[in-house]
Amino acid sequence: MINFQLNNTSVQVDIDPDTPLLWVVRDHFKLKGSKFGCGMGLCGACTMHVNGEAVRTCTLPIAAVQGAAIISIEGLGTPDNLHPLQQAWVEHSVPQCGYCQSGQLMSASALLQKNPNPTDDDIDVAMNGNICRCGTYSKIKSAIKSGAEVMRTQESIVETFDPASGKSIVKEASS
Amino acid sequence: MKTASITRRLFLLSTGAAATGLIVGCSSAATKSKGYSSIAGAFEPNSFIQITPDNQVIFYLPSSEMGQGILDGLTTLIAEELRVDPTAIDVRHASLHSDYKNPELRFQGTGGSNATRTQFLPLRQAAADTAAAIRNAAAKQLNQPAHKLLLADGHVTAEGRRYAFGEFVALAALMPMPENSPLRGPAQFDQIGRERPRLDALAKSTGIAVFGIDAEVENLYRAVVVRSPVLGAPLKRFDATAALKQPGVVDVVEIRTGVAIVAQSYWQARKAASALELDWEKTELASWSSDSIYQKFTQTLNDSSQKGLKCCDEGEGDKLLNQAQHVVSADYYAPYLAHATMEPLNCTVAVDGDNCAVYLGTQYVEASAGAVVYYGDFDADKVKVHPAFLGGGFGRRGLGDDVAEAVVIAKKTGRNIQLVWSREDDMSNDFYRPAALVRMQAGVSEQGLIETWAVRRVGPNVLDHILDQWVDVLAPDYLNKGFVDWLSKLGRPLFKRFIADPSSADGIFSDYDMPNKAVRHVAQDPGLRTGLWRSVGHSSNAFFKESFIDELAQRAGIDELQFRLANMKNNPRLTEATELVAAKAGWGKALPGGHFHGLATHSSFGSAVAQIAEVSVEGTKIVVHKVTAAIHCGLVVNPGIVRDAVEGGIIFGLTAALHGEITLVDGVIQQSNFHSYPMLRMADAPKVEVHIVESQEHPEGVGEPGLPPLAPAVANAVFKASGQRLRDLPLRLT
Ligand code: FES
Ligand code: FES
Repeated sequence: MINFQLNNTSVQVDIDPDTPLLWVVRDHFKLKGSKFGCGMGLCGACTMHVNGEAVRTCTLPIAAVQGAAIISIEGLGTPDNLHPLQQAWVEHSVPQCGYCQSGQLMSASALLQKNPNPTDDDIDVAMNGNICRCGTYSKIKSAIKSGAEVMRTQESIVETFDPASGKSIVKEASS
Repeated sequence: MKTASITRRLFLLSTGAAATGLIVGCSSAATKSKGYSSIAGAFEPNSFIQITPDNQVIFYLPSSEMGQGILDGLTTLIAEELRVDPTAIDVRHASLHSDYKNPELRFQGTGGSNATRTQFLPLRQAAADTAAAIRNAAAKQLNQPAHKLLLADGHVTAEGRRYAFGEFVALAALMPMPENSPLRGPAQFDQIGRERPRLDALAKSTGIAVFGIDAEVENLYRAVVVRSPVLGAPLKRFDATAALKQPGVVDVVEIRTGVAIVAQSYWQARKAASALELDWEKTELASWSSDSIYQKFTQTLNDSSQKGLKCCDEGEGDKLLNQAQHVVSADYYAPYLAHATMEPLNCTVAVDGDNCAVYLGTQYVEASAGAVVYYGDFDADKVKVHPAFLGGGFGRRGLGDDVAEAVVIAKKTGRNIQLVWSREDDMSNDFYRPAALVRMQAGVSEQGLIETWAVRRVGPNVLDHILDQWVDVLAPDYLNKGFVDWLSKLGRPLFKRFIADPSSADGIFSDYDMPNKAVRHVAQDPGLRTGLWRSVGHSSNAFFKESFIDELAQRAGIDELQFRLANMKNNPRLTEATELVAAKAGWGKALPGGHFHGLATHSSFGSAVAQIAEVSVEGTKIVVHKVTAAIHCGLVVNPGIVRDAVEGGIIFGLTAALHGEITLVDGVIQQSNFHSYPMLRMADAPKVEVHIVESQEHPEGVGEPGLPPLAPAVANAVFKASGQRLRDLPLRLT
């Protein structure tokens, strides 16, 4: 039995320990926002946050996440309560086919958690593991910059995800 | 942002297919069946629009959304004439119905960048007639003259009072349906031509957009297929003893393309696949490697006894070639390419007695449905296709091979299954962009005018293998006659022996005033299956043509821009795009040290595109700093989407120009995943600037035309930067 936090909720699962986290989240927990693109850690479509780091979950065995905190795209924000980066993604009209975008957003949001004011080079490095076959790179970059700007001006927020309602709950932290 | 309503709509959008009852095989135009299931009390004037009493406006999208933005574009057309805010429309993927046929392809499918062009008037007419019906009903109900009513934002305003459309739908459904209602003119447009974020951006930025791979049905098992390392080789024997003992495995079955393993989870199936023991028959393809293919093509190119099929003969053909002031000849090569859609192929099948439901993203809904009927032996009226968003299409998705495997696995095992291809499966079982070797020859006058244009192309055709696939799949007789006719006209033997496959030569002799032309194609096919790859024949032919044009200009000692303009006097659209790009990029002006400009111009799918690449060379590395593009695509529905599509084509084209190559050793494809078939990444993506020629002409294609000029623009710049004329793709400096 493996226990971990999925979008701020404690979950447990009894499954072959080498099953990659991606397939557990998609097919066991039925959260379909994270995508399968290569299965070799080469494209980034499966990116989630593992203890705050952007990780390719197609090659991460479930046994390795025992006790870890996992955030998937569903925990980043919802249409009713967008993460500032998701808001920027919409305003910049970033997605084309959209298939890579959950992974792009998870890599970008992990970057901003560590580096609220990234340079172009910082962005290139952080986003290097994410392929977009449709070629939305320039828009991703602009959206990261404007999302970062919004976040810098916002108070820090605490966010939790309620799997029952499918909504995230945002509380403003007292600063 | 009105988030609550947006959430509701997105939910509907993402589950639209599942919520839609579908009617399959209604080929009789005489019946008034609609492509959707009825909603009680709704006004249902045609297969595209439903308006409910509670003001829900639903639009059934007849084209597949694969990133090209057609959901946005076609919804905008509906919004414009129906007088509804586009963000207030519930958009659902249309399932199979004769009303959703692509007017140009004559079957239900999305390809050839023709959706906006072909739907621009019909969809607006459907929406305008619907708005007129609402107006008439409102006039009667409110006892007002129809012309005094104002329709806007989903409401009718009469004497200062606003009434939602829903209030009139009951009456509208009973009144005669207006026809040929006047359409709004360009001066009145308030949706068409407006720039705003694309309508599917929110669903695709929150992970809630449903792709084929996200389908879930009851009691779903997962399947993977092990196929021959040499594409298409038949199975000789297999031993599943070990595989069947693996955890979670429930079935192992032989299918046409190999052996399927069905398990409780994808991971279990994938792991068990390596425990299978298999032997394959040897096929002719196994005797070919990339080197021997190139040698064979070269031999054929030089063998004048092989005349080839005529693609074009004009004026004196190539008779006057050697009399010209400048005679230039050069050989060019383009390799096989894979599509590498971001979402690997997949298909979910649920069988319930005689009924079969399939869930997938497909460009060709009709071919996917046909594959269920043909391979699964289901009655056409028992088949339901639930289309989803496509994680990229580019000509790959919906050819029927995915469905053919999945439906047979479901049938043989009696289970609901989801078949997921791995990236490796996807890369080694594609319908590849054909390789081609060409000899370009031209005679140019002293004044720099092209007099003779002669091309000899050797390589496989584009359509042969697709047609093999589709003739089977689409032959079932419930399919529309026109389509079967269209197909049967294009049989594979036909291309080999009698007429040239038009796609193979697309764009290789176009755009310029060339009075004398002779274009020949010698079909030579080692047997690796080929197909439609974003921009099809143009993808390689523009590289040949536009690189060669630079060679001609340089031989004649004329600036490459001036040479082109002088030779495209009969091509006003391309001239406008070329002049615009030259002005915007500053052609001829000083660039940063070591940077050089390369120009290429090419028309495809009705649109004209010119591009200037700014390139430097560091050792043997080619660095593309910036690409400036101008497109003439007629009237623009959403300028943001046009720019995105052109930029997307440029990035797709640059991946191919710098890295793209599928190679074979003894018939086995050497590329398997993104380490060996690399994609351009953010750090290497150039700055892209797209300019749109202003025009009121009928809209033309944008999904593909941005791609073809990219490779030659870069190659032409590389020549200036390095002195090396690179005539083979991908571009490699030595
Ligand atoms: S699917 Fe995980 S990196 Fe590609
Ligand atoms: S939007 Fe299609 S792969 Fe990125």
